[in-house]
Amino acid sequence: MNASLYLHIPFCEHKCIYCDFYSIAPGDSAARDYAALIREFLVSLEAEIRLRSADRMLQCRFETIFFGGGTPSLLSPSDLQRVLDLLRSCFTIDPDAEVTVETNPGTVDPEKLAAFRAAGINRLSIGIQSFHEDDLRFLTRIHSSDQAKACVRAARDAGFQNISLDLMFSLPGQTKERWMQNLEEAIALEPQHISCYSLIVEPDTPLQRMVETKQIATLPPEMDAELYETTIQMLASSGFQQYEVSNFARPGFHSRHNLNYWRRGNYLGFGPSAHSHWTDVRWWNVSNLHSYTQRIAHGQAPVAGEERLSREQVVEEEMFLGLRSTGIDVAGFRRRHDIDLFERYGDIIEDLLRSGLAVLEHQVLRLTSTGYSLCDEIALRLR
Amino acid sequence: MNHIRNFCIIAHIDHGKSTLADRLLERTGALSPREMTTKQVLDDMELEQERGITIKLHAIQLHYKAAGGTDYTLNLIDTPGHVDFTYEVSRSLAACEGAVLVVDATQGVEAQTISNVYLAIEAGLEIIPFINKIDLPSAKTMMDNVKHQVMELLGCKEEEIILGSAKSGVGTDEVLEAIVRRVPPPQGDPGAPLQALIFDSIFDEYRGAIAYVRIKNGRLEEKQRIRFMSTGMEFDADEVGVLEMKRKRTGSLEAGDVGYVIANIKDVHETKVGDTITLASRPADKPLPGYKEVKPMVFSGLYPANSDDFAELREALEKLKLNDASLVFEPETSVALGFGFRAGFLGLLHMEIIRERLEREYKQTLINTVPNVEYCVYKTNGEKVIVDNPAAMPPQGVIERVEEPFVKAQIIAPAEYIGGIMKLCMERRGVHKNTTYLSTDRADIQFELPLAEIIFDFYDKLKSLSRGYASFDYDFLEYRESDLVKLDILLNGEPVDALSTIVHRTKAHEWGKKLCAKLRELIPRQMFEVAIQAAIGSKVIARETLSAIRKNVLAKCYGGDITRKRKLLEKQKEGKKRMKQVGRVEIPQEAFLAVLSMED
Repeated sequence: MNASLYLHIPFCEHKCIYCDFYSIAPGDSAARDYAALIREFLVSLEAEIRLRSADRMLQCRFETIFFGGGTPSLLSPSDLQRVLDLLRSCFTIDPDAEVTVETNPGTVDPEKLAAFRAAGINRLSIGIQSFHEDDLRFLTRIHSSDQAKACVRAARDAGFQNISLDLMFSLPGQTKERWMQNLEEAIALEPQHISCYSLIVEPDTPLQRMVETKQIATLPPEMDAELYETTIQMLASSGFQQYEVSNFARPGFHSRHNLNYWRRGNYLGFGPSAHSHWTDVRWWNVSNLHSYTQRIAHGQAPVAGEERLSREQVVEEEMFLGLRSTGIDVAGFRRRHDIDLFERYGDIIEDLLRSGLAVLEHQVLRLTSTGYSLCDEIALRLR
Repeated sequence: MNHIRNFCIIAHIDHGKSTLADRLLERTGALSPREMTTKQVLDDMELEQERGITIKLHAIQLHYKAAGGTDYTLNLIDTPGHVDFTYEVSRSLAACEGAVLVVDATQGVEAQTISNVYLAIEAGLEIIPFINKIDLPSAKTMMDNVKHQVMELLGCKEEEIILGSAKSGVGTDEVLEAIVRRVPPPQGDPGAPLQALIFDSIFDEYRGAIAYVRIKNGRLEEKQRIRFMSTGMEFDADEVGVLEMKRKRTGSLEAGDVGYVIANIKDVHETKVGDTITLASRPADKPLPGYKEVKPMVFSGLYPANSDDFAELREALEKLKLNDASLVFEPETSVALGFGFRAGFLGLLHMEIIRERLEREYKQTLINTVPNVEYCVYKTNGEKVIVDNPAAMPPQGVIERVEEPFVKAQIIAPAEYIGGIMKLCMERRGVHKNTTYLSTDRADIQFELPLAEIIFDFYDKLKSLSRGYASFDYDFLEYRESDLVKLDILLNGEPVDALSTIVHRTKAHEWGKKLCAKLRELIPRQMFEVAIQAAIGSKVIARETLSAIRKNVLAKCYGGDITRKRKLLEKQKEGKKRMKQVGRVEIPQEAFLAVLSMED
């Protein structure tokens, strides 16, 4: 069984208006001496890794490592190197492990990228979001379009052969033409992987306040649908396979780390707000750097909550995660849960197959590209 | 017995009945001012407080030292004020000798003032008129007029009218004195065989059915064997007492008293409101006159949203029925909705209240279908069928004629609104009978109207066209022949029986068009296109198309936080539970009541 390690690096040079992941920017009141804060965090992170690795129950071969955030590319190559070395000494890491760092183009240069590569990082997920300067300004990204393009080229020059780009659609006022330009620019950079997320207005973000005060209007649902359908078509015609609602890859370049989430594999998360899953138990760390470091300083696990999944919840997760990604293995499902999906949802599945929303191949029920557009609707019907 | 007074308070809705009751409670020390909340104390049902109306009647005993120094026991029986609940009013009246009539000084005599007064006169009660809200600024100009209206209605003298303000307590003492002096003490023979009238009953989880009684003759003590005269069932009286703020055990009750009996009665049907309780050892010859059997006017389907909850719904309905004798129901099945009940209600408000109580107090998730009246269908073979469910309407070919209930409606409104009211009534197929003037600027308009035309939004329309000044009351008149047709709704060609309605032929097209449009609004878009059609027989008369959803997926990066995503889905699934799958189409609960929210 595949297992993964996740490290949450809760620092950003600037918090983007839409983001609801936990991170601290230098201007935040909590941040005293930013560099000192980062150093303090790294000490705690390393302590948490040691603490967890003592648990023999959690020993197995780990095949992926993912630095997420926040902005992990804000860290120096040597910091990342030290964390990776520690992970290797505490856990069994596959020599061919996929090691990803989320990268903000505004935080790296060719030297830093080369140093990342030398540290054993072999995959970059570069947050580009848009190639339009006004979009980038609206989203309060800290980089320009040129910087983003330069970053991708520099990454390749540094030896990265597995590069993913993040793009964002359904921005206020976005036209189909502008979005298609973004996709074209992205494809032209020849990445191995592209993630396209729709702009979601999350609670307690500046974006939400802007929507509430009517400074901006979200895109009408019809337009959002149109942009999503366009994405799927354009990326498919450029040789990218869709393997999840928002993820597209050249053959062989699926994100092994993310697939592990969706296939309900085991993973350990470190750092504030990081989530973990181990054999049907899910737990998550406190979403606050101060309480995180405090807990660790007292030798405690920084866990904020835990849930042991019931049988029904496991079934539920397998279904919706399967639908969102690479499909539900009907035979395996029957074996594991003693549930025959056709018996239970025969009418609905038949409907999905007949209307071309899903296909059944080798006993795997998988959504088609039109099916992905209705993924949540379909998941709701399997109840 | 000479020191007992049994009375109730009657009024048009919002004229201040419950506020006066609160003042009487406070004045007699049943309740300290500190215990009084801002809301009315007697309206203890959550729904009553929220809606500001009394649904169930309540009884309470007060102790009052009269001006002459004599102590009196006053039994106050509260009454509901809405037109739907006239039936409960008549129940209260049967347990009393007097009634305080509350009339709002700024509104005057209204439709329910009149109907309640008639009921009280019929029951032979002494009526004490109380003009309320005299401290409001607009009362000054209205006062003489209102006094005049009251005198006209009751045939009383001006001196008999008490003026006051229930809100500030002005006039409370006069009301109490009038009750003592003007309401006759109860008659009855404590030595005669027991005759106790059940005027209400409630169900207590631990004690079973509790009967609220007025002892007309005889004496009732704990441990006695009691008999319900309509069923012949016998029980041992475990506990007997009077109703103060809480039940107060006294061990016995005798002629003239109002109180309660607990007798370990498990089955909710045993304590029938209107029945007479007597003693097994020395039974009375005959029961007291019961109540006019209550006739439900409005019928609708009640279905569990989840078919597995049918038995639970039955249990909840049975429990509710104990508290509400006017609720009737019987099982029925619908192709679209499965197993459920056809329930009969006194009116639309009553239906809403029952539905809300089932949902709140009994945690039921319900589908409530479009309400309708009861039709008499005469078939060509001479057979007569009673139809209380449009789906059960016989095919057009075998129908000779259909009769529908008509009511005698009374509308009281300022004269300036007569034109609008006439127009509304005519649109609703009304027949104008008479218009009289209560005063130079207040008219009493009488119409005969099909009940079906007033159960939906008639009252709201009436209120809005008269800026709230018109009041309305109605009473069943007779069944009359009308040209009625069954209008079916089809979703993707499949008829949905629970959405069928019976309408007048001249209105069918317009009705069908509006209903389709409303359903298009209420049914969420599905994964495929849905055709919504209205048809009479096989003829489609209206159509709307609901286009398919194009996208419903949160294309978001959520990392390893599967929990959040799953919880979101669970929450959405919970919301979907209120949807009913009919064929391939998911229909939300509200859609089955689409007719109620149709615009003109």
